[in-house]
Amino acid sequence: MTNTDELKKKLGTKEEITWCPGCKNFLILEAVKKALAKLISEGYKHENLAMATGIGCHQKIYDYININGIYGLHGRVIPTAYGMKLGNPNLTVIGFAGDGDAYAEGMEHFIHAGRFNFDMTYIVADNQNFALTTGQATPTSQQGYKNKAEPLGEFNKPFNPIKLALACGMSFIARCDPRDINHTAEIIERAIKHKGFAYIEMMQHCLAFNIETNEEDRIMYKVDNKDGMKKAMELADEWDYNSKNGKIPIGIIYQENRKTQEDEWPQLKKLVEKKVGWKNFKK
Amino acid sequence: MRFNILIGGRAGQGINKVSQIVSDILTKHGYFTFNYRDYPSLIRGGHNFNVLSISDKRVGSYESELDGIIAMDEKTLLLHKNELKKNGFIIDFKEFENLGRNLNIALAGALIKIFGIEKAILVERIKQEFNNKEALDAAEKGFNKKEKKFELKKLKNNIVRMSGSQGVAEGAVNSKIDLYLSYPMTPATAVMHELAAKQIENNLVVFQPENEIAVANAGLGASFAGAKTMIGSSGGGYDLMTEALSMQGISEIPLVVYLASRPGPGTGIPTYSTQADLDVALRGGHGEFPRIVIAPGDPIECIEKTNEAFYLSEKYGALSIILSDKHLAESEFSTDRKPNKILNLEIKRKIPGEGIVKASSYEHDEFGNTTEIPAIAKKNADDRTKKYEKIKEESEKFQMIKTYGNKNAKNLIIGWGSTKTAILDAIDSIDESIENPSKGNWKFLQVLYMKPMSDEIKKEIEKADKVILIEQNVTGQLGRLIREKTGIKIKNRILKYDGKPFASDELKNDLLKIK
Repeated sequence: MTNTDELKKKLGTKEEITWCPGCKNFLILEAVKKALAKLISEGYKHENLAMATGIGCHQKIYDYININGIYGLHGRVIPTAYGMKLGNPNLTVIGFAGDGDAYAEGMEHFIHAGRFNFDMTYIVADNQNFALTTGQATPTSQQGYKNKAEPLGEFNKPFNPIKLALACGMSFIARCDPRDINHTAEIIERAIKHKGFAYIEMMQHCLAFNIETNEEDRIMYKVDNKDGMKKAMELADEWDYNSKNGKIPIGIIYQENRKTQEDEWPQLKKLVEKKVGWKNFKK
Repeated sequence: MRFNILIGGRAGQGINKVSQIVSDILTKHGYFTFNYRDYPSLIRGGHNFNVLSISDKRVGSYESELDGIIAMDEKTLLLHKNELKKNGFIIDFKEFENLGRNLNIALAGALIKIFGIEKAILVERIKQEFNNKEALDAAEKGFNKKEKKFELKKLKNNIVRMSGSQGVAEGAVNSKIDLYLSYPMTPATAVMHELAAKQIENNLVVFQPENEIAVANAGLGASFAGAKTMIGSSGGGYDLMTEALSMQGISEIPLVVYLASRPGPGTGIPTYSTQADLDVALRGGHGEFPRIVIAPGDPIECIEKTNEAFYLSEKYGALSIILSDKHLAESEFSTDRKPNKILNLEIKRKIPGEGIVKASSYEHDEFGNTTEIPAIAKKNADDRTKKYEKIKEESEKFQMIKTYGNKNAKNLIIGWGSTKTAILDAIDSIDESIENPSKGNWKFLQVLYMKPMSDEIKKEIEKADKVILIEQNVTGQLGRLIREKTGIKIKNRILKYDGKPFASDELKNDLLKIK
């Protein structure tokens, strides 16, 4: 066994995995463990890794990764996670949310996250439906999607979360296809290493509900944008979450370096310098 | 000796400055003051007034009949002249010309003269804050304008002045708070301002998240990571927090909540006062889980009880709620009592960075991982209930109730929170009037711990001939709580719910009417 394999094993738990067979959440879990194992092998402290999850299929990852964490409330991943950063800025914090979680219930947090720019990562598993409540439409479901709550089909046009993230000033924006585990792991690693709020839209097409979205992988292609905001806007516009046409860019769509929230507070900087959280800071 | 002076004007004219200058001088002179602030929800214009109550003894309320009015505009006399006693005095803005923004200094100067306090003391105070000729001239003009009416001799009291908000902030700093999270909402906001102003010297962070839902969830995240954390709001903002408070119950992450109530339902009357949120403090949040609800009645109790709230919350992984209201939060009290010794707070639990820690809103096993096994669900529910018993046992070390007045009095008044000092003033006033046949017949039981609740309350009620409940709400919420805990229904009730706090003279009359 290689060092990374051993680390990955340490990052696992004995909990029984209850996702549907074939669910892309298995691939996301694998990519996350792969990225974290690499980071630990490079010197990140395992005990300083922490996660916050919402409620939905994605959140079961809380039981399957052996790192610190809060299994929080539906929609509240971002404040729970940035609260951890305020409590100890030395933690490496990753938020896991679903599309219902991030774009419906928790939207008021999403649109402020770029402005605050806490140094954390936010991974949204987007399967374009509320799967754990049996398939109702979310803000990214395509028009016409018939579900138990809307037998006449979804009337509302989906919004484009990548465009919204750009407009909200998030400092790192990427989209991933978990089918490509290595590429996804690489993007997660770069997101965690990014200083500031890093958002990943994870295309987690569901096998139980809204299954037609699984066809989206046919129009995906890889990008690594280094040409700034104008190019990022163009990339975001290439697919509208509604049509089966266009192109879906996968990879880093936007990245900029700017001061993080933690950099602004002299009180928090002291904790970073001394490498302690509030608990072990002498007043 | 007691004076009640109303200072009225438009918002932005500086009525608070008049109160402050006069109070500063009187504090140094050894007199107790109480400053009630009455203002609508606007920034400039309208009609604001303060009632400054002054006494040679402890005072914690205002009276409805005024000894003097200081009018900064025409409306003040129009609205309040009928509240003035027969021989009361008026200091009118019309008596002064061309003073501009120094008008308030002149008015304060005039009042100091009426009280018979030396000019040198006034000048010294004005120099401290405004060392310019215009301000000193205004003070002199005001002083010279009026005749001495009283002779307030210097007293030897050692007095400090403080609002309830300052008390809560001081209690939090004494508890070594690391993080205060809040979204602006009257009347909770003043605690945020207090803590923010001194955050660097006290080594803490005051952060304003995007809304109250974020406040509560970020509070749990921060506390989980090892920060001593308090969050604060008023009615509507607190309502938004309650889902996260319920999560506190199952995750057992320590959390202290400051809840300053104002009249509802809905937006209600935002800048006025009520005690209508006891119910929601006791029960906000779904599911069954232990919590601590403490209601201090004056700023020194705010210091002490905030410290206890932090202590109990950290020790038991519990939710502590400090319940206040606009009247306690924003009135300025004076006292010569020193707060109790500070309780030392220690975080003993393991936090991220010291190993792997998990906290969950789902029912969970000993590692924090998800479970739906009935036996574990039952055990966890039982453990949460047992925890409450331990909290109650420990709370008994603190003052859960206080009693005042004649121990053998026949009549027992029961109240809580900001009504405390008005009740004490009303009882004092009855006891001081020599001819009053009701003298010595009154004692007061103040309930500070709403949850857990002291077993002594039942004993006190059973000892009394007559029990009177005083609350500032429409349904008598403490009365219902006492009935739930003791089975005793308190029939005599004095309830006020027009947004204005009790005036002690009116309260005294209400008490004497009870047959």
